Amino acid sequence: MDTTGTVEGLLGLGILLSALYLQSESFIDPLASGIAVQSLLVAGLIGWLAYANGSLELAVVALLVLGVRAILIPILLRRQIRAFRWRARELRAAQRVTGHALAAVAIAIVAWFIFQETLAPFLPPIPGVALPFVLLAEGLLMLATRTNTLVQVIGYLEEENAIVYAGVLFVVAFPLLIETVVFLDVLGVVLVSIILSIQRNVFGAPEEEALEELTG
Amino acid sequence: MNPSDPLLWLTVVLVAPIAGALLPLGFGVVGARRAARAASVVAWVGAAALLVLGANAQWGAYFGIDSVSDLFLFVVASIYALSTWHSRAYLAAIHAPFLTSQRYYALLGAFAFAMLLTLSVSDLGLMWIGVEGTTIASALLIVLERRPASVEAAWRYTLIASAGLSIALFALILLYGTTGTLNAFELAAHPLPLTAPIAFAVSLALIGYGTKVGLFPMHTWLPDAHSEAPSPISALFSGVLLPTALYAFLRVYDVVAAPVPATLYGLVVVVGLATAVVAAFLLQRQRSYKRLFAYSSMEIMGLAVVGVGLGGIALYGALVLVVAHAFAKSAAFYTSGNVLRHTGTTRMEEVRGLRTRLPWTGATWAASAAAVTGAPPFGTFLGEVLILTGAFALGQYAVAAALVVVIVISFIGVNWQIGRMVFGSEDREAAREAEPIRDLGIPWLCLGVTVAIGVASLPYLAPAIRAAAMSLGGSL
Repeated sequence: MDTTGTVEGLLGLGILLSALYLQSESFIDPLASGIAVQSLLVAGLIGWLAYANGSLELAVVALLVLGVRAILIPILLRRQIRAFRWRARELRAAQRVTGHALAAVAIAIVAWFIFQETLAPFLPPIPGVALPFVLLAEGLLMLATRTNTLVQVIGYLEEENAIVYAGVLFVVAFPLLIETVVFLDVLGVVLVSIILSIQRNVFGAPEEEALEELTG
Repeated sequence: MNPSDPLLWLTVVLVAPIAGALLPLGFGVVGARRAARAASVVAWVGAAALLVLGANAQWGAYFGIDSVSDLFLFVVASIYALSTWHSRAYLAAIHAPFLTSQRYYALLGAFAFAMLLTLSVSDLGLMWIGVEGTTIASALLIVLERRPASVEAAWRYTLIASAGLSIALFALILLYGTTGTLNAFELAAHPLPLTAPIAFAVSLALIGYGTKVGLFPMHTWLPDAHSEAPSPISALFSGVLLPTALYAFLRVYDVVAAPVPATLYGLVVVVGLATAVVAAFLLQRQRSYKRLFAYSSMEIMGLAVVGVGLGGIALYGALVLVVAHAFAKSAAFYTSGNVLRHTGTTRMEEVRGLRTRLPWTGATWAASAAAVTGAPPFGTFLGEVLILTGAFALGQYAVAAALVVVIVISFIGVNWQIGRMVFGSEDREAAREAEPIRDLGIPWLCLGVTVAIGVASLPYLAPAIRAAAMSLGGSL
């Protein structure tokens, strides 16, 4: 394997491990750090590809990932955690750590298998070409199984990391304009999520009676 | 300035809602309302001009419209204008809202801009951004009444819609990786054979955009958000947000060369049918009239997706249904706002005797319920008949039979429930209440448009629906 392939493979492995770690963590602060590390690894991978291909566009994308997902959004998340200390841990998840970890591994294997069997034959032979799909599945799993709003935001960010990872791996240079605006969109969703998260905190845990109108 | 230049009118369509989003922030309550209303009317004039011109043009790599865009732009701009005008009465009744009037109108303008942008671009990436933008702009509007349930609904909406749209973006990356372009018009002009990556991309787009359309099983945000949002926003959600997301899917689906292989169109038909069936049954057990209408929207979207999958005359029927439903459902939600203001509840069993208490409102509501469920002579009836005709023409008798069952079940379910509230006798002794008739003008206008579509006599709009269907490969 050439140097580029080795670096891509190692960073991909790091991204996969970070995804598995996020699934088994119930404290929110380490989760914010975990998603920052994952974003850092994604930024590193894009930066490496920018260097290997001499692409200025990819370098810009790497800086965007670094600035927005590895630094800015984790800072915003940590502020939320400091403001509402009682939400610093997801208790329900804490009781199911083993289950979450096992589900994460199972989902990773299934997603890998599906991708390798259906799409990989049609794509260039890149090391870890199935990893973005696995990461997407892990993000969706986190969204579906967690109840803490901040953890769900982290699951959404993991999904978005999978998208940008797929973008650079499958097509090398997804149009920069689109990539940039997608980043702003993600930032917008995170900000709206945080506003709604604050409102949820203001109301506290919703009473069953209050949510009755959402049933039927 | 050349008034026959589509670029001029497209600029008007896009700049007006931006003005509608920014200007209200610089005024007081009355000024904000007037600015928002003026902007919405200007946007409608621009969209109407594009419809009349039958605009079909591209500008650069990112912007472009055709007969399909013209049709959807007109419908979105119409409901945007109607909702903006109808908002006054609704806002006046809310105590201590989450948003000031200025911010409400600003977000309303931003919401409309995101939808109009989605329909004005030829680049599928920008189209995705527009659809995602609708989530950002509209999520806080759901919380207007500052209730725990509305915050919960907004949260679910943001999370589920964004997660779904991430899958749609993944589909676009696959498509770009395979074709090297995201220009929808270019892809439609040179449609692709159904290879594995294309099939995977279109299927992921169905899941991703389908989440925003409210397709089963990704529909769970829809009844919550539609029922918790203020009525003018519910009208935008049901009437035009769902069709805007459907439009984005249509553009991806359009890249597959005709005839679409049975595996793919079969998947689309099955998902659409499952959505309609689930919605038709779920709406029977609703306790809130706003949730009842939300599930009805889901059922209509399911029928429309079946029409898209079947193609031909059924596709034409799907477009007729979507356009007619936009106006009909807006009438239903606007009138729901009036009912809520007078009764103070959305629980159906607590509302009776509207015929006596609020005769004009009751009559409007009963007519709206008939319109959304496809009663003749409303346009929804024509749309449903055309979809059924398409199913029979293709020899898809099982699909046709299932559609008939769904249509009948939802017709009975919605009209029975609304009928009980309007004609129910528990409150027959209740005195007639003063009802502001002018608040019913907009619902009646919507119902008039729906009837005109039903008798296929509406100048410009009826030919525009035909042109859009032909452009997408449909037939008449």
